[in-house]
Amino acid sequence: MQHQRQHDHRHDHPAAPMVDEITDFEVLEIAVRELAIEKGLFTAEDHRKFAEWAESIRPAGGSRLAAKAWTDPGFLARVRADATIACKEIGIDWAEPTGFGSTSDYMHLVVLEDTPTLHHVITCTLCSCYPRPLLGHSPYWYRSPNYRRRIVRWPRQVLAEFGLVLPPEVEIRVEDSNQKCRFMVLPVRPAGTENWTEEQLAEIVTRDCMIGVALPRPGRRADDVRPVHKAARPVQSQHH
Amino acid sequence: METAETKTVETPGTKAPWEGTGVTLPARFKIGDRVRVRELPAIFYSRTQMYVRGVSGTVVRLNYPDLTPEDEAWNRYNAPQEQYYIVRFCQKDLWEEYPFQNDTLQSEYPESALEPATD
Repeated sequence: MQHQRQHDHRHDHPAAPMVDEITDFEVLEIAVRELAIEKGLFTAEDHRKFAEWAESIRPAGGSRLAAKAWTDPGFLARVRADATIACKEIGIDWAEPTGFGSTSDYMHLVVLEDTPTLHHVITCTLCSCYPRPLLGHSPYWYRSPNYRRRIVRWPRQVLAEFGLVLPPEVEIRVEDSNQKCRFMVLPVRPAGTENWTEEQLAEIVTRDCMIGVALPRPGRRADDVRPVHKAARPVQSQHH
Repeated sequence: METAETKTVETPGTKAPWEGTGVTLPARFKIGDRVRVRELPAIFYSRTQMYVRGVSGTVVRLNYPDLTPEDEAWNRYNAPQEQYYIVRFCQKDLWEEYPFQNDTLQSEYPESALEPATD
């Protein structure tokens, strides 16, 4: 049977990981999860349900926030006063799913406003803190040690690798998100979007624009796919 | 030391596990203050990066009071909660060879990780 043969084949040659630079934290997460299930803190079914809920969150919430902040000065003022509360206006409740957040997404959000002379970019050098209620899961490169260790020290060079070259007169401000506060970049509204609706504006505020590695512009509705390069010293599988 | 009597307690069931049950200490710093990240021994889980130790910056935001990462790591939920601050550093102060004068970096610290800057 064709199906059976494919199944056997998978056992002989396990699929190669998409990113061969797995972090210690990813290994740790699996170990802690398995221990917690064994100890009965939660079941595998609980974990599956939570993972599916978390994976259903898309960056669209952040896009709506940016578009509304560009078009509604009253909303921008409320974002400045308390961004976590203002999120409810765009349908995002940071207290979900427990009533006090999701144990690693705390109830603190600060929106970093770019200006023509100030550009923000976000990282977490200690792990991979990310505003998940707004943007969903982080992209793989955001969690990679490569991005995390280099963006704080060589931000202009790393941004150039994403295709974003900024002149020296624009201040680059790296936000190392190391505690319980989460951050999102509010880019400058690009020229050529006058009279656009909120829905039209939201389409060009992609995930990368809200992390700060890209700028929104008319016609750009999706992030570029970053090519994956082989790690110089890949993690070796025990099965080899 | 103010937290010497603090004992390990169980996570309170009805609140967020990290919410804490102790007192909230008043904030010592205000926006605009120059502060230095203390050069504490890297023994405990602190979430204070090595690359900012001993470097001075400016307080730009008072965020929220909370437990320190060290207390949280040891389940000391009745330890005093401290003010958290966002501190802005000049990149040139963090990395000697950094070539751009105006670039900055921000990160967040509990009060006990900071001391008044003298430089």
